[in-house]
Amino acid sequence: MGQTFSEKLLGSKAGQKVKAGDIVIVSPDRILSHDNTAAIIKSFRELGLKHLPHPERLVVILDHVVPASSEKYALNHKIIREFVKEQRINNFFDVNYGICHQVLTEQGLAAPGKLIIGADSHTTTYGALGALAVGVGRSEVASVWATGEIWLRVPETIQIQLEGSLPPGVAAKDIILSLIGEHGADKANYQAVEFAGEGATCLSIASRMVLCNMAAEMGAKNGYFLPDQQTLDYLHQRGVEDYEVINSDPDADYRERIILHLEQLEPQVACPHSVDNVRPVSEVEGIKIHQALIGTCTNGRVEDLEIAARILKGRQVHPEVRVLVIPASHQELIKALKKDLIDIFVEAGCLVLNPGCGPCLGAHQGVLAPGEVALSTANRNFRGRMGSRDSFIYLASPATVAASALEGKITDPRKYWS
Amino acid sequence: MSEIIIEGRCWVLVDKDGFLIEDIDTDQIYHNAYLHLTDRKLMGQYALGNLEGWQDFAQKARPGDIVVAGRNFGAGSSRQQAVDCFLALGIAAIVAPSFGAIYFRNAVNSALPVIRWAQVDEWIRGNNLKSSDRLQLKLATGQGRNVNRNLDFCFTPFSGVQLAIIQAGGLFNYAHQLER
Repeated sequence: MGQTFSEKLLGSKAGQKVKAGDIVIVSPDRILSHDNTAAIIKSFRELGLKHLPHPERLVVILDHVVPASSEKYALNHKIIREFVKEQRINNFFDVNYGICHQVLTEQGLAAPGKLIIGADSHTTTYGALGALAVGVGRSEVASVWATGEIWLRVPETIQIQLEGSLPPGVAAKDIILSLIGEHGADKANYQAVEFAGEGATCLSIASRMVLCNMAAEMGAKNGYFLPDQQTLDYLHQRGVEDYEVINSDPDADYRERIILHLEQLEPQVACPHSVDNVRPVSEVEGIKIHQALIGTCTNGRVEDLEIAARILKGRQVHPEVRVLVIPASHQELIKALKKDLIDIFVEAGCLVLNPGCGPCLGAHQGVLAPGEVALSTANRNFRGRMGSRDSFIYLASPATVAASALEGKITDPRKYWS
Repeated sequence: MSEIIIEGRCWVLVDKDGFLIEDIDTDQIYHNAYLHLTDRKLMGQYALGNLEGWQDFAQKARPGDIVVAGRNFGAGSSRQQAVDCFLALGIAAIVAPSFGAIYFRNAVNSALPVIRWAQVDEWIRGNNLKSSDRLQLKLATGQGRNVNRNLDFCFTPFSGVQLAIIQAGGLFNYAHQLER
């Protein structure tokens, strides 16, 4: 019996042959933290160490509340900046870079064969480049800072075969929402999800990031694509040479195989208050919205902004909808500027905000009042996540959010897809 | 590895129709309005404060109590406050058919036993377990018992390293032990 990607990668790190279910002690190549680095520093100090044994493994990116919206957040950022300087952490990205998952990737810090852990549940995103990337809690990160090691359970693997290609107006977000709606928010608990098939090969790196990002919403420990020429090109463009391509064996032991035919897919919407409460857009059309958000670590890349701009170009957003556009990173913002996408958003009446998490986790930049409804390209719609406990969050693709922003209600984007 | 035995009164998290609540996410366990708190002692009062029907849980719970919930407990965010708030209240264990993967790790690393018991839903439906029953849990062997009704069950036992962390009182203490 062959081995899966996760078995091979963790086995190689552990220096022994392992199979799903085994517990291994391994050293991560990269350790990500964001604004919560302040709390991790506190725990690290409690452990009694003065210096990080491996500062080169750390990646610290400020993104959750940037720039700081209150004295409390400002103090946290200050503590982090001082620590970064003191411990000589080179991979530090201050408030002007963007969302951690986008920044880490575009800086070439995610690569095939790497083991990445992060104090954020959407750390799974880096699987898009063939890394094994796992989200953990912040005490765990403090412990890994100190010891360099972590215990991990080798996950079983669900393979998801994407067959065919996407119809017009339907995107990666619709694929993952459809899968989560069909199989549930705990389908892949403790397990790995391998996205495979010809449909997977055709997806851009940005689209692959959408799927791996939201694998977390299926409960997955990690989600990944096996590296192909597109992956290698992406790395080459960023001068990344230190990586090891790891593939699953053809006779690997998958726990389950799921097939999704992309041709039949229509735009999907996750309804309040869980990500697996998914309906085709046709069933929820007409629901009035107060705020639209295009951005986040799920859908704030230039690929997403291009789709939204294509729909918004030359039109005006609905007067009763606040439309927020938040590019995922400074680099993505520059690309969007060069493609004149930002002009389109501003002229359409959108609010273009600085790269960062924005209101996705309810901290600032557009929190919701009781009774308000948001339609967002984010990954999570838990009750109260974007502000009031009595607000409602729907999740959809950038195309669906852009079309709905025009009409003031949830709208099928395909009518704008000429 | 010596056995760890936990016994306590349980709170079965059911909805208004008496069904075990599934997919209780980290926002329902600990709302983002209180994420800025760093002192664990202050977090207890907000435990389950965003879960319909259970907003008063923190007032009702007593140290040593056990929480019983539906599948996928702790789905979502990696926020550790969602574990810490139960520790602040002195909750002895959380029992559910399954947990969010990061939640499970956070709990083990904080020495909060998270008990994976696949049949718990059947037991609730079959009236073999209800709130205020006393549960006994043996963590190393995976043996459980409803003490009030003298009924036994099996749950997924912890692996060696998980048990060692719980026994040490959490990941940090465990790391200290290894250094010695």
